[in-house]
Amino acid sequence: MKELNPLLHSQLRLAVISILMNVEEADFVYLKEKTESTAGNLSVQLDKLSGAGYISVTKGFVGKKTRTVCQITELGRQAFEEYVETLKEYLGM
Amino acid sequence: MEEKKMTERESLELITEMISRTKERYVADGSALLLWGYVTVAVSVLVWVLLVTTGNPAYNWLWNLIWIIGCIGSFIMSRRKKENFGAKSYSDKLTSQLWTVVAYVALVFFVCCMVFTFLKINTWTAMLVFALTVVPLTEIAQGIVVKERSLVVGGAIGMLVGIVTVCCICGGIGLGINWFIPMFIVAFIGMTIVPGHILNHKARVNR
Repeated sequence: MKELNPLLHSQLRLAVISILMNVEEADFVYLKEKTESTAGNLSVQLDKLSGAGYISVTKGFVGKKTRTVCQITELGRQAFEEYVETLKEYLGM
Repeated sequence: MEEKKMTERESLELITEMISRTKERYVADGSALLLWGYVTVAVSVLVWVLLVTTGNPAYNWLWNLIWIIGCIGSFIMSRRKKENFGAKSYSDKLTSQLWTVVAYVALVFFVCCMVFTFLKINTWTAMLVFALTVVPLTEIAQGIVVKERSLVVGGAIGMLVGIVTVCCICGGIGLGINWFIPMFIVAFIGMTIVPGHILNHKARVNR
């Protein structure tokens, strides 16, 4: 049986990818709120996902406030779909 | 949320949970409809009253207040929206692109009418046709995308008045001030103000 993608088989990273699969784009505050994570932890996990090319992270400004917007990439979408397929195999679905 | 080893079943539960958490916000915002609706209705009433009481066609230039006030209001609204960004859904993106196309089409219509005005040909009824065909059609499309019946019904009301308008123009029937502008106002109330309030009410209940 295929191994589950270790990059996605982590609670927070999987939560982030699941959210981004469902929306066009989401900002840091929204992800933090929905995943109920800390800013530091979320930031580290976003860096990991971005480093793997699974998400794109755009940093910008709204007035004087910084805003980080995340979007899933095609590679991230494929990885998530493969992850779900493997999960189904494990669970015999 | 902490980092911990998950079982396969926990992974699946987490995915389901995250999808359900992002579903809650799929309610369209009626503020833009209300802004354009109230501005259009207020300007139309003003122009109608002035035309009926004075008979001076120069007051028709006041129609331009619609896009001037509407564009300023939309700009302020989009800035506020950016501050409370959160997340953008696929339907948010699609409807925003649809309305951007409508704005460009409106600009082309306006430029064409201005050119014809300089050539001493009055084509401003084309703007009415635009407002009562392109706008309602886009509203119907948005209603289908976000599965909101009030937008589809509102768009259909506008479209019906638009079809009547086109038929009158093609049949050489003059769009009389006494009946056409009131019909235009009623169409815009049904097309923008009513669905705008319905959407905002649903958004408040959903919160």
